[in-house]
Amino acid sequence: MNFLLCKFLEFIKTINFSEHIALVLFSILPFALILGFLILTVIGLVLFERKILGYFTQRKGPNRVGFWGILQTTADAVKLLCKENIEISSGDNFLFTLSPIIAFAAIIILWCIIPYNAEFNMINSSVGILIYLIVSSFPMLFHFLAGYSSNNKYSIIGSYRALALTASYSVPIIFTILSIICITNTMNLNNIILFQTKKWIIFSNILGFVIFYISSIAKLNRCPFDLSEAESELVCGYHTEYSGMRFAMFFLGEYAELFVMCILISILFLGGYLPPFNVYLANIFMGNCSLCRYLIYFEQTFWLIFKTLLIIFSIIWIRATLPRFTQKTTLDFFWKYLTPLTIINLIIITFMRI
Amino acid sequence: MLEKIFNLVKALFYGFVTVLWHLFKRPVTEEYPEEKPVLNEYFRGRPFLNSCAGCGYCKRVCPADAIRIIKNERIVEKYIIDLKKCIFCGNCMFYCPSKSMHMSNDFALATNSKSGLQIDIINRR
Repeated sequence: MNFLLCKFLEFIKTINFSEHIALVLFSILPFALILGFLILTVIGLVLFERKILGYFTQRKGPNRVGFWGILQTTADAVKLLCKENIEISSGDNFLFTLSPIIAFAAIIILWCIIPYNAEFNMINSSVGILIYLIVSSFPMLFHFLAGYSSNNKYSIIGSYRALALTASYSVPIIFTILSIICITNTMNLNNIILFQTKKWIIFSNILGFVIFYISSIAKLNRCPFDLSEAESELVCGYHTEYSGMRFAMFFLGEYAELFVMCILISILFLGGYLPPFNVYLANIFMGNCSLCRYLIYFEQTFWLIFKTLLIIFSIIWIRATLPRFTQKTTLDFFWKYLTPLTIINLIIITFMRI
Repeated sequence: MLEKIFNLVKALFYGFVTVLWHLFKRPVTEEYPEEKPVLNEYFRGRPFLNSCAGCGYCKRVCPADAIRIIKNERIVEKYIIDLKKCIFCGNCMFYCPSKSMHMSNDFALATNSKSGLQIDIINRR
């Protein structure tokens, strides 16, 4: 961030603007940038998923609004914004309104922890991954409160299922992250990426990758582990009673979390913003020119998003293939197979480090 | 135990490959109003009639009782077919002695009212 700050201050001096205001602006601008990028990403991601799912089932997906259906999700978003906000007659109205707001706000914080390239890293904390773990548990808690305050039997069943699932997937996720900390000796996300310059962690911790991948699908509330919003049983789970903008918050949050979780997977296992074979395309095509220094940052972001999109594609592929598990199967799977496997993996990694 | 795991992985692999294979197939979706579907030569759509003699054969063979012929002495004044009832079986076309009954390719029959479906199909050129 220091390099960006210097460039920003130089730019401010050229247009004769107050330096104090510029410093304040510099801390606000990235967050505004992230928020805009978040909404655009979610709109794009929903379209991407609907299109890919369509082609998986030999349909075309949305293809009416705009060219090739590009504006479909924008139209959906506008519709949701214009819809009436329905208040519940019985139940806790305060918690009912608060839950979607905090569930979404927590995900924005997650977006700000991520290093998008070597410079653009807003919250560069030495315990970045710990912050991620703590903040990412917020949405699940507020999903529970949303179901609890709705005064609806489907919502409350969905919430209890979500809580049961949270307890089961948290252990594998935390233990896998512990194994990565064992390998890299750091909790800073940037340093974890830089550790993988020679060899990505997936090659030394393949079992950990599989476990983390499966657990993160459960964390994202997606098929085949989407117990808490099983449409065929529970209408819509914890957000049955929600409509309009409050529902949009949950929906936005779900896809934003999908994106940020896939970014985390690519950071922890696939080298984050580092290019494959550690060779930058900008260096190959442009040589060592001055423009190249800036282009590399864009290329790093490109690689990060490319890896993320690959993981998102695989998650959509799983959704198109597998049916939903029952609650007993899911909990059996996590407690009886995945958790012992994670502990064995952690022990192996620790002995390898010694 | 090992065989069970092997079978599970094999089944999963087949499932994933089958789904991925569908990604490269042509979608079966028809973009209807823009692209009209190609119909069979023997497709039976909206019926039409040329020079009816009013013998009433079609009315007798119609299984859905959809045909009503209004005559004025010996001349057919109205030949009304009720598309609500019609099952497009083609019996009227098959049994017509003068072969004047035909069925067109037109399948877009929706109207805004019930009376719109009771149409006089005789062609008076």
